[in-house]
Amino acid sequence: MTELSVDSRELEGIVLLYPRGFINAHTVRLFEGEIQKALDQGRYRIVVSGADLKYIASAGLGAIMGVVEEIRTNGGDIRLAELNETVRNIFDILGFNHLYRIFPSEVEAILSFREGGETGSPPA
Amino acid sequence: MSGRRPALVLRVPSRTEFLAAIRDVTRRLAEAAGFDGAQADQLALAVDEASTNVIEHAYRGAPGHTIELRFRDEDGVLRVDVVDDGEAVDPRAVPQVDLQRYASERRTGGLGMHLMGRIMDSVTFRRVAGRNVCCMVKRKPAAGSEAAP
Repeated sequence: MTELSVDSRELEGIVLLYPRGFINAHTVRLFEGEIQKALDQGRYRIVVSGADLKYIASAGLGAIMGVVEEIRTNGGDIRLAELNETVRNIFDILGFNHLYRIFPSEVEAILSFREGGETGSPPA
Repeated sequence: MSGRRPALVLRVPSRTEFLAAIRDVTRRLAEAAGFDGAQADQLALAVDEASTNVIEHAYRGAPGHTIELRFRDEDGVLRVDVVDDGEAVDPRAVPQVDLQRYASERRTGGLGMHLMGRIMDSVTFRRVAGRNVCCMVKRKPAAGSEAAP
């Protein structure tokens, strides 16, 4: 069984990534590759829509951490949406909820890019 | 039931494709030990991280080694030892995680160890007879109570 697949689509200049399955040290290269594809195309507004993301280990968190500065320096952001309880707990445990904007729904994450002031950490 | 229960020992090759099996076994044993689903997921993550550390650091990615996991369901706690015969690992060499600084410096090392420490009640390392032993302990939720965070 494939442990991870990552679909992507673009909407209004925003790259939407749909990881399905498990992100850990074994599968993280695929996830990193999809983020890098967006960056290579000059797309710095990214939403990771996690409805089908069952699990993320530190390798996956590190993949996000490794690119966020480049993304924000270029005026964009990487935002997360629709995380299940397990994944959301992992973000909370590490304090990632203070570094990244996390939305209940994909639509809210997309709309947040229309608000202006795209760069930066979530509001306190 | 009281007293020490038999341990389960799992030996897996030092390859990342076996992390899924490690995660599944840990999750099932955690649930059998009385943890709820959310806590079982977190325990599985901690053991995944410890095993990943063995593969990446103690064995430096070499696939021909073995990771030994010893699970023990004791009164009040679930204990998991992750054992390898790779290079000696000094946990003090792992950097303390400062997320803001990490993000600005594009650093990612130490996140796994940080997660293990946040999830488990105790994480200790020792070197015994040429083997690294990472011992992780998690207290079980009290009977009839909600699981602790």
